[in-house]
Amino acid sequence: MKISLCNRHLSPLQRRTMQLFGANLALAAVLSLTTRDLFKDGHVTAQLLYFMALLPTIPVIGIITVVGRYLGRETDEFIRALVVQSLLWGLGITFAVDTYLGGLFAHPQIFRLIPILNIDLFCVSVGVAVRIQLWRNR
Amino acid sequence: MNNQLRVLRAERGWSQADLAAQLQVSRQSVNAIETGRFDPSLPLAFKLARLFSTSIEQIFRDEA
Repeated sequence: MKISLCNRHLSPLQRRTMQLFGANLALAAVLSLTTRDLFKDGHVTAQLLYFMALLPTIPVIGIITVVGRYLGRETDEFIRALVVQSLLWGLGITFAVDTYLGGLFAHPQIFRLIPILNIDLFCVSVGVAVRIQLWRNR
Repeated sequence: MNNQLRVLRAERGWSQADLAAQLQVSRQSVNAIETGRFDPSLPLAFKLARLFSTSIEQIFRDEA
């Protein structure tokens, strides 16, 4: 079983997980931005509003499922511990950034220039944390 | 937790990759255990003991 910073050394399970993770991440970005654009018009019915607001949660549930599936099937306990630590780093960074931006955007003169997506921030943070941990334990 | 893994491995002339392949774990796992950054679970500790034909206590020593 080889683990390294290079994708070609990933196990089939890890490669599949990365593919599913990436697909859900892209879907999250597309659905969140599409929904946001639709809501800008303001011409949506209440039923459509509730339905559309639910759509971006699908990839979020997908990502949690993908990670859960991976952790359940990964036989290397050290790598499993490393991934769990990275997930905690991802959660911490997401909460910290979200709290900071939430406070910042509460000010009336500061506009939401960039639509920050929590799930994207979480996934990127986890990815960076995994890379750093693998580099530290190379 | 102190361990004799590096010594036992060196006695047999195995690389970390060789040991990892026999344990069916990553080389990083072996490295982390050897350097004391990660304590293995009981099943993995028993696997190591079986592989080196010794007891867990001979491989792992409590620092306390």
